[in-house]
Amino acid sequence: MVEIKGFLETSFIDWKGKLCSVLFLPHCNFRCPYCHNHPLILHPEQYESIPLEAIFNRLHSLRDWIDGICLTGGEPTLHPELPLLALEIKKQGFQVKLDTNGSHPQMLKRLIEERLVDYISMDIKAPLDPFSYRRSAGVSVNIESLWRSIEILKEEKVDYEFRMTVVPELHTMEDLLLLGHQVRPGPRIVLQNFNPENPLDPSLRKTPPFDPLLLKEMEKTLQKMV
Amino acid sequence: MKEEFETTDMALFVRTSEESMHGWDRQRIVDALLRETYVDLDTAREIAKEVEDLILTSKIKMITAPLIRELVDTKLIERGLEQARKMHTRLGMPLYDVDQLILHPNKENANVPHGPEATNLTLAERIKKEYALLSVFSEEIADAHMRGDIHLHDLGFIDRPYCGGQSLEYIKRFGLSLPNSIALAKPAKHPEVLLAHMVKFAAALQSHFAGAIGWDAVNIFFAPYLVGMSDRELEQLAQMMIFEFSQQAVARGGQAIFTDLNLYWEIPKHFEKVPAIGPGGEMTGKTYSEYIEEAQRFVWALFDVFKEGDGSGRPFFFPKPLVHITEKFFQTPRHMEFLYHISEVASEKGNTYYVFDRGETAKISECCRLSFKLEQSDFEDAQQPWKMRYCALQNVTLNLPRIAYLAKGDDTKLFSKITEFMELAVKAHLEKKQFIEKLLSLGEKGPLALLAMKRDGTPYLRMDRATFLIGMVGLNELVQIHTGQEMHQSKQAFKFGLKVIAHMKLLVEKLSERHRMRFVLEQTPAESTAYRFAKLDLKYHSPKSGYIVKGDLSRGEVYYTNSTHLNVSAPINPIERVKQEGLFHPLIEAGALTHLWIGEAKPSKESIANFVIKTFRQTQNDQIAFSPEFTTCNACHRTSRGLQAYCSYCGSKEVDGITRITGYFTKLSSWNKGKMGELRNRYRNQAFIETRGGETVLLA
Repeated sequence: MVEIKGFLETSFIDWKGKLCSVLFLPHCNFRCPYCHNHPLILHPEQYESIPLEAIFNRLHSLRDWIDGICLTGGEPTLHPELPLLALEIKKQGFQVKLDTNGSHPQMLKRLIEERLVDYISMDIKAPLDPFSYRRSAGVSVNIESLWRSIEILKEEKVDYEFRMTVVPELHTMEDLLLLGHQVRPGPRIVLQNFNPENPLDPSLRKTPPFDPLLLKEMEKTLQKMV
Repeated sequence: MKEEFETTDMALFVRTSEESMHGWDRQRIVDALLRETYVDLDTAREIAKEVEDLILTSKIKMITAPLIRELVDTKLIERGLEQARKMHTRLGMPLYDVDQLILHPNKENANVPHGPEATNLTLAERIKKEYALLSVFSEEIADAHMRGDIHLHDLGFIDRPYCGGQSLEYIKRFGLSLPNSIALAKPAKHPEVLLAHMVKFAAALQSHFAGAIGWDAVNIFFAPYLVGMSDRELEQLAQMMIFEFSQQAVARGGQAIFTDLNLYWEIPKHFEKVPAIGPGGEMTGKTYSEYIEEAQRFVWALFDVFKEGDGSGRPFFFPKPLVHITEKFFQTPRHMEFLYHISEVASEKGNTYYVFDRGETAKISECCRLSFKLEQSDFEDAQQPWKMRYCALQNVTLNLPRIAYLAKGDDTKLFSKITEFMELAVKAHLEKKQFIEKLLSLGEKGPLALLAMKRDGTPYLRMDRATFLIGMVGLNELVQIHTGQEMHQSKQAFKFGLKVIAHMKLLVEKLSERHRMRFVLEQTPAESTAYRFAKLDLKYHSPKSGYIVKGDLSRGEVYYTNSTHLNVSAPINPIERVKQEGLFHPLIEAGALTHLWIGEAKPSKESIANFVIKTFRQTQNDQIAFSPEFTTCNACHRTSRGLQAYCSYCGSKEVDGITRITGYFTKLSSWNKGKMGELRNRYRNQAFIETRGGETVLLA
């Protein structure tokens, strides 16, 4: 079974409109310099694994409150047993949300077809070209896979959103517009401001985030790009 | 009857408190002793002579009146005239203290700014506090306060009641005619004028109460004035209301008026059939249910203003909006839309308080956090809403951890100590009540003229309806000392906490019956009391207390957990906090509250609304508030989320943190040490990995 390295019992922020629990899965194939969960990616062995049973026991008493469970990481789709985990959660009567970077479209497809997931939030790191992506994701990325994932989501067989963390050092407003033209995300895109606290690349610690108002404006612009 | 002076040649000058210097005159000592104490003429003369000799031999050229008084006091002590010495005591402050006070901010109450007005307030409070402890309260009570068994709140405001709940209907009906003011204003004809009356009345009331001024059903009572107003006009009025109350930093001590606005989306049952008062104080011939549209538009506009924040995007510190949610809320059209609206404010700025009035019993949140179930007499009052004026006369808080130290693990002793402390609180209430009644009996010519005015035939302050608050600090630590575990650590520990409060609840009921007064338990906000008790227990119950007090001993940032709350630092998920803390709320009539510290995170309005509905349906919790944190920049005047060391816009270090200290928002720079310790500890439902002092820790 997938190792679970972290369990946040209640979150107000990980699933819009819902109260959810969050399970953190280890490892990632990206190395985004602004990642703030990097210990989970670089040194997952320093965290004890939490047995699924213990988590379900705990959730039992929160059953009337928790609407669903968010699977995040790391990159959950790296784990071949992910569908099994999702199935176990579904059996307990909770909805499932998946956070992914979109690098494993076949896993997304399977989860959707087997109705193991109710909501997918896909991170987009940069305009969809190898150079920009490499800069933002810290490794070379197969852009084709990302496009496959985007297409799968756009079939609208499951509720979804695109999410992008915007970092002043890495992204310009032009990048965002370019991305908007490429993906045409419509109202489903959410922009998230960079948080300088404890990023993977320590040099980013000095980077002040974007002006929130400016970001909100940009989000509105992108949401109009259908 | 002047006497021959033997010492008129004494080249000694006395600096008096009347800004003059007098030549030495021994007779003045005699006069003062005869006027202020019961000593006989012979003794007074003897003492005066002795003091004169003492001064004479010292060869000083200038002496102050206070020193003479102290010298006289030593003579009274020598004669064993203890009572006379007390009566002859001088109240005042050392030069050094006054100097410090004028130069440095007051940290006992973060709502007091630093400035000449604030200093005046503090100076006056110091004297009145001494006066209260010497003259209003018995020695037993004063000593209990000094020791820190109990805390008598707002002693510096001894000559005022504690807090009050007001009805707009009073000024709508009677206009604004304050006893000491020259101009009399007839009932308002326009909403702006009504607002002006409200603000002025609030300011007048603030100088007659120690604490909060609450206003009931503000949007409903304004509604008859709002008929036909455009959205723009309504928005303008809402802005005026909030800025007026938030910028009234010219009132007492330069403080903003501590204002609570109680608001409703629905017309609650107890106001449904009440005849509405409209412009000019005339009955409009309609009931308040017929004004629901205006009431809703206004409350919506008020929250638009809160969402915006002030000129630099900060949350408004005052007024505080309390939205009451009754069963009827959920049957009122567009309630979800409104719930999202106020939840967006809760997420963005944190202002919204959600007050849950479940079941068929209605509640009025009368002032800062005092709400109570409406009884038959209240429903009768509701028909004439201008009568709905309430007050709490005083707040006395028990030091619960102290009780546990004293009980040394013995159950019987613990519960008998609780009774003992509770009886002290009751005695304190009786003494204050007697004092306030004395002031009120002087009527409209007395010091509390405003509260004695009888525009509707009865005095403004309805003594028969007054409540007397008995608060508590550190239930969590009492349980910890007594059982070895904090309340969140085991079910038994939590149950024991409940047992203690249930016992206290029974006691207040008994005591209320015995004294025919209304004692109620309150969750004391304990902004400085939690710090004071912890410090005093470190002094009297060391070393044990060193393991118990929360915070950082090395920094001196110590505190006890507020009221019946669970340890603020424990990683308890918000659902459980709301559920568990809520179990105490039915026992605590004076509006209990659970804080949800959300820190930097900005939840979606939908998730907050989701949580609020579940809290209403699935818990007994009375009131919740979400508290975000902000950093506001004094250089570029912009505000960002989270507590940061530098401005995230311009990088300046000239920043101030903002969040709720207890029940209200303030800048961190004004916080006392105990609250700073608490702030560092607050669990903010962080993600499972977070950095603490550069070290990555696992919270799960």
